[in-house]
Amino acid sequence: MTETATAPPTPTRYTGSRVPRVEDGRLLTGHGTFVDDIQRPGMLHACFVRSPFARALINEIDASAALALPGVRAVFTAADLNPDVHEQWYSSYGPNVPDTPRPPLAVDEVRFVGDPVALVIAENRYIAEDAIELVEVDYEPLTAIADYRDAQTSDILVHPKFPNNVAGSLAGPPPEVVEGAFASAAHIADETFYQQAYAPVPMETRGIVVEWAADNGDVTIWTATQTPHEVRAFGARLLGLEPERVRVLMRDTGGGFGQKVVPMREDMCIMLASRKVPAALKWIEDRRENLMAAGQARHEHGRARMAFAADGTILAAGIEHAQDIGAYPTPWPVGAAAAVGLLFPGPYKVPLATWSTTSVFSNTAGRHAYRGPWQFESVARELLLDIAARDLGLDPVELRRRNMLSRDELPYPNPAGMPPYDHSSPLETFELALRMLDYDAFRAEQAAARAAGRYLGVGTCTYIEPTATGQPYYACEGAVIRIDPSGQVTVIVNGGSAGNSLETTVIQLTADALGVSLDSVDTIQNDTSETPFGAGTAGSRSGSATAGAVAETASVLRAKLAELASARLGVAPQDIVVADGQASVPGTSLAMTYAQIAELAGPGGVEASAEHTAKAPMLWSNATHVCTCEVDVVTGKVTLLRYIVGEDVGPMINPNVVEGQIAGGTVQGIGGALLEHMVYDEDGNPLASTFVDYLLPTTTEVPHIEYGHMEMPAPGPGGHKGAGEGGAIGAPPAVINAVADALSPFGVKITNLPASPAALVALLTEAGH
Amino acid sequence: MKPARFEYHRPGSVDEAAALLAELGDEAKILAGGQSLVPMLSLRLAYFDHLIDVSRLDGLRGITADGASLRVGAGTTEAAVGADAGVARAVPLLARATPLIGHFQIRNRGTLGGSIAHADPAAEYPAVALALDAELEAFSASAGRRVIPAAEFFTGLWSTALEPDELLVGVRFPVWTGRCGFAVEEFARRAGDFAIAGVVVALELDGDDRVARAAIGMLGLGSVPLRAPAAEAAAVGQRAGELDAAELGRLAMSGLEDIPADLQGSADYRVRVGAELVARAWVTASVEAAGSDRAGGMAASVGAIDG
Repeated sequence: MTETATAPPTPTRYTGSRVPRVEDGRLLTGHGTFVDDIQRPGMLHACFVRSPFARALINEIDASAALALPGVRAVFTAADLNPDVHEQWYSSYGPNVPDTPRPPLAVDEVRFVGDPVALVIAENRYIAEDAIELVEVDYEPLTAIADYRDAQTSDILVHPKFPNNVAGSLAGPPPEVVEGAFASAAHIADETFYQQAYAPVPMETRGIVVEWAADNGDVTIWTATQTPHEVRAFGARLLGLEPERVRVLMRDTGGGFGQKVVPMREDMCIMLASRKVPAALKWIEDRRENLMAAGQARHEHGRARMAFAADGTILAAGIEHAQDIGAYPTPWPVGAAAAVGLLFPGPYKVPLATWSTTSVFSNTAGRHAYRGPWQFESVARELLLDIAARDLGLDPVELRRRNMLSRDELPYPNPAGMPPYDHSSPLETFELALRMLDYDAFRAEQAAARAAGRYLGVGTCTYIEPTATGQPYYACEGAVIRIDPSGQVTVIVNGGSAGNSLETTVIQLTADALGVSLDSVDTIQNDTSETPFGAGTAGSRSGSATAGAVAETASVLRAKLAELASARLGVAPQDIVVADGQASVPGTSLAMTYAQIAELAGPGGVEASAEHTAKAPMLWSNATHVCTCEVDVVTGKVTLLRYIVGEDVGPMINPNVVEGQIAGGTVQGIGGALLEHMVYDEDGNPLASTFVDYLLPTTTEVPHIEYGHMEMPAPGPGGHKGAGEGGAIGAPPAVINAVADALSPFGVKITNLPASPAALVALLTEAGH
Repeated sequence: MKPARFEYHRPGSVDEAAALLAELGDEAKILAGGQSLVPMLSLRLAYFDHLIDVSRLDGLRGITADGASLRVGAGTTEAAVGADAGVARAVPLLARATPLIGHFQIRNRGTLGGSIAHADPAAEYPAVALALDAELEAFSASAGRRVIPAAEFFTGLWSTALEPDELLVGVRFPVWTGRCGFAVEEFARRAGDFAIAGVVVALELDGDDRVARAAIGMLGLGSVPLRAPAAEAAAVGQRAGELDAAELGRLAMSGLEDIPADLQGSADYRVRVGAELVARAWVTASVEAAGSDRAGGMAASVGAIDG
């Protein structure tokens, strides 16, 4: 279902259509090239010795037995690798933030189960795993902080330099701002919500191959990453090299979702160790390592409150948020948490807001970015709205209708400190999704089912998110477009095949910008020695940024083509129209094809490059998720029935790609609501370090996802807005609200995630059922 | 996740396999479908110097029926069991339990004998074997063939009455005749997961609609697969239509020991789920038995076919 709010600015041939993905042939026939497919002469294999304790002193490391094992080449400890670090900071934050510690290997103390303590280098991974069992580490176990909620009042410090285990706090408008509104409110909703730790769990784990050239000191890196240029910049700083001396290649990356947005400690170790071994060095993370040590996300809680007038009008909102950052978060976790407070008011007419956020260490895996890192704002707000609606005796949909922003009311100020909301359509996607469901019919079906002893529920979540921001690092994306004398077009961008189909969309955009057919355009991506700078896949920026880079480069190229043609055709460049694969003079028969012009330019053809810099502070995307479910009130089992997303990411470059992004995020969010839980015991041992215990949703748990599109353009390239993260934001609240709605006859209130069957049964038991 | 070194043996016959097992003893492990063993080796939760691969032995495969019983070779894959129309007719519980074992990729490799010899208390086939009083055929180089009743086979968590030199070669399931009904109910977090709890029920009604025979097998509710003797005894002799299924569920949960408690649920939660599953399975099996008038003992409906 598509409802077009505003037509795309210019009619196009491929942009906006469901062009089949060019990468599918390679990926679906098993011909993708992932980092573990890389083979180099004499390549060696690395495996980490990891801490079995959540917190312990390292008294001694004895590697002699491991070194004696045939096939083992080296065992490195912190003393070998850590002193070689030149600089260690991420481009997006720069070197001056009060960053948290991030030693390559653990020094003197281990701080979570999985903390890398030593690095074994061997002829193959089998021998390396034999050897890690032979490295004798004398640990002195200490009491750990397994739950960040205990950390601020604990005598134990995860890092001695951080009192109270707090890495940092941020706050927006102070609580006094909303005090009057709460004092005079007819109704107040005030709940503390808790979200469990879960993680992206990419299909391809982390992995890196680093090869140091002994002759000139150059370093080549193959890695699973979302940001090849950042890996290059980071690696160069780490190793003390000029960036030009570092080349980063990626072909296919089997998902990143934030986990691969910047290099982590293990990546640093392999980069540092590569200069101490005589051949390329490969490290491929296994699944247990990924679930134990690649990091966690989402683990947080917050006291959320809203003040309402008697008719349900929202008067003010506030959230006091705290998040678990584990022992070694990557990157700096404090700044990103501000978005939870800034976005808590959401797409509603909220006049006043207050917020604060605190980042707290624990002896668990470090926090990292995960698709919509701030999504707790939607969890807290949307769960609170449903609870408030029930208390007010209003249907949750009606309460939202009374407060939600429509496109006609934009721009509208955000009371928490963001720039105003604009160019989006919250109420419109809300109504679209409800129409697709037939909300009233569902309510009737629900009533009939309840009469028969079956418990159905419906939940919604409406959110608005800043995408493709104009912050300096992420604003930049370059492109090169070349036309060969054959007429074939090559577009060279940072891109990267991490699942977001940039190979396809950049070809669509380029074909349209030059007026050529899709199959006459190829793309080169994923190699920092060939591609211009691009900030990579992060912040739902790639679609917009790449569209900008292609548009600006194509404009320069068209001018060049006109210039070249003008000399041959004997007319002024401004009299030439460059479109549809040729340069022609309107009203005459004078024309040259691109191939002819490229041949004229020389054997190398004609080429242009340009860099796009985003000008808008952000492009607002929005969506409404609607979910229906049935709950078995004896076992607690939740069966999802329908799942509908009404969304607005502006004019879509390729609806298949947009829907793929929504589906992927939605499934991750469903997992977070119902299944996935990176749980630790009270001693800090991870209990879900294999797929037996870490439960990902599969096709049997996920219903068919239905999509409704609206296309309100944003003031960015092509009007396109970001689509990468929203699914993972909207799904958890919609699912939880549906479950809570199903159980509303029992007076059950859900404030803790995930809604596992046992947890729901506990709530039902508590409620006397 | 790479296993430690082991020596791989592929004997050409059951006799050769048994001889190797006798020779290598505790240092050897039988490799059948490998669906439990290989992950344990890869996670280095188990170490064996020798693996004896029996997955290609024709002598361990095959399904034969003689009217009173159905024999399944231990090396028969779960997929083959699930797809066999004869199994569905003769031992409906076996056919209906099969789709609940893991996923189809696992069933394509996993074997009936491997599942039973591995003796996971949450696995489906051990509970079916126990409920139906199956006979387990063991073979060793020293003692030859020996039959172990299912009631004596499962001795503890992942442990069985098999001697270190014994190989499970086949399982003989009794064929129930008369007005019978069968049901399998299982509750897992996701399709294909090990069950939080599961129940298999077989029952037979006499001409007076009284329960003539009842067998209730349970999985995931102890350190071994279990029967529910109190519930079975309470049902036998009663009119099917007058039995309180919920009460049978409660009886089935009475006296349970070693109820697992893990990430997926406490012991109390498992008991709540287990009681409900017994009740649901009992109702389903009763309805089927009441509607089954065929002599010769074949269930009215064919179980789910794998795939």
